[in-house]
Amino acid sequence: MNDQQLWAALSEVQDPEMPVNLVDLGVIYGITEHDGVVEVELTFTAMGCPASEFILEDVRDRLLRETGVTEVRVKVVWDPPWTVARMTEAGRDALESWGLAV
Amino acid sequence: MATQAEFDQMIKSGELIESPKEMTPDYLKELKHTLIVSGDTELISAPAYYLAAKRAPSINAFMTGIAIIQDELAHAHIAYHILEELGEDQEKLIFSRDPKSFRYPYAFDVPLDSWTELVVANGMYDQAGFCLLGDIHEKCSYGPWKRGLNKVMAEENFHLRNGRTWMKRISAAGGSAKDELQRAVDWMFPLSVEWFGLPDSMKMHSTQLEYRLKGLTNDQLRQWWLSTVVPYCEQIGIKVPAHKEVRDGKDVWELDYPFPCEFDAEEKRWDFKKPSSWDDVLVRWRARGPRNVEMVAMFQEEFHKFRKTHHKNGS
Repeated sequence: MNDQQLWAALSEVQDPEMPVNLVDLGVIYGITEHDGVVEVELTFTAMGCPASEFILEDVRDRLLRETGVTEVRVKVVWDPPWTVARMTEAGRDALESWGLAV
Repeated sequence: MATQAEFDQMIKSGELIESPKEMTPDYLKELKHTLIVSGDTELISAPAYYLAAKRAPSINAFMTGIAIIQDELAHAHIAYHILEELGEDQEKLIFSRDPKSFRYPYAFDVPLDSWTELVVANGMYDQAGFCLLGDIHEKCSYGPWKRGLNKVMAEENFHLRNGRTWMKRISAAGGSAKDELQRAVDWMFPLSVEWFGLPDSMKMHSTQLEYRLKGLTNDQLRQWWLSTVVPYCEQIGIKVPAHKEVRDGKDVWELDYPFPCEFDAEEKRWDFKKPSSWDDVLVRWRARGPRNVEMVAMFQEEFHKFRKTHHKNGS
């Protein structure tokens, strides 16, 4: 299994509130895999993110659908903090077309 | 202003209306009516949901509940803002109308008393809103509203998700939690079915359809709602009084109780043994339900109090 495949999997996970995926939103900080155990470091756009539970659930569910993944451990980190600068060009375009200035 | 014939042609050809200048007086009247129903429904869902969100079982759940309420207020604002552009006074609409003259579905007048009832509202009432607004989003002939609904639809999806996730979780917990969920569904399901209004057989003419303010009839919308809610409830082990039949190769959702029938709002109980007429339903709707006055007061009272004290202080 390579990391690329895991990043691609998470780029299929949409933010529950906005039409942008988690990778383009820039909240996934790192993915490592060892013997089928995937560790994900991620952050949220705000401490009081009302969608945080849904996001954690979606990340776990999606990675567990990858062949060879037996366990997913998600670590929520706040350092470095998320800013709009972490968004990809594609993410920015998606939100702009939706009416959010970023 | 376009002549009636020119205007009808514009509507028929699928063109979008972009400003009041292009409208006939009758279209304007019908558009305003449709927007008031939409704005009032979103607005009143805020106090209705808030009274139940206070009982959230965790901080995260409370935050999600509050985020949903914030969305609903923003959605209301879109509708009232458009009404203002069409010549209405937003402040008067919200703060100076009699509670009984608000035009939201009767369901919101029946109190939501627990987190369980709130998530069933997210799963069922927001699904009703999703069907109604989704149809308007797709078909509406008034451009500014159609575009304003882009964001609304994405957010309604989030509300639905909160409802469905929690309903599934509570059902899986079993025991008294699941019993409470079943009781909530028992009274909230028929109220949502009623949400879509008179059956097509009794409503021969719809100006809203004619003007493409919406695209689907009451029964079509009701069928859409049933086709999403019934399978989901069955999947998570919750009973609902409806089933699917196949007629001429098409899925048709049939209710297992007389529609309409008698409802006791204080007890939150339907009597499936007592069918009623639509005239009875309209009387109940017009009289409004137990919480109408209290909920409207929740946002009107402080507004007027503030106005008064402000004035007294000489400003």
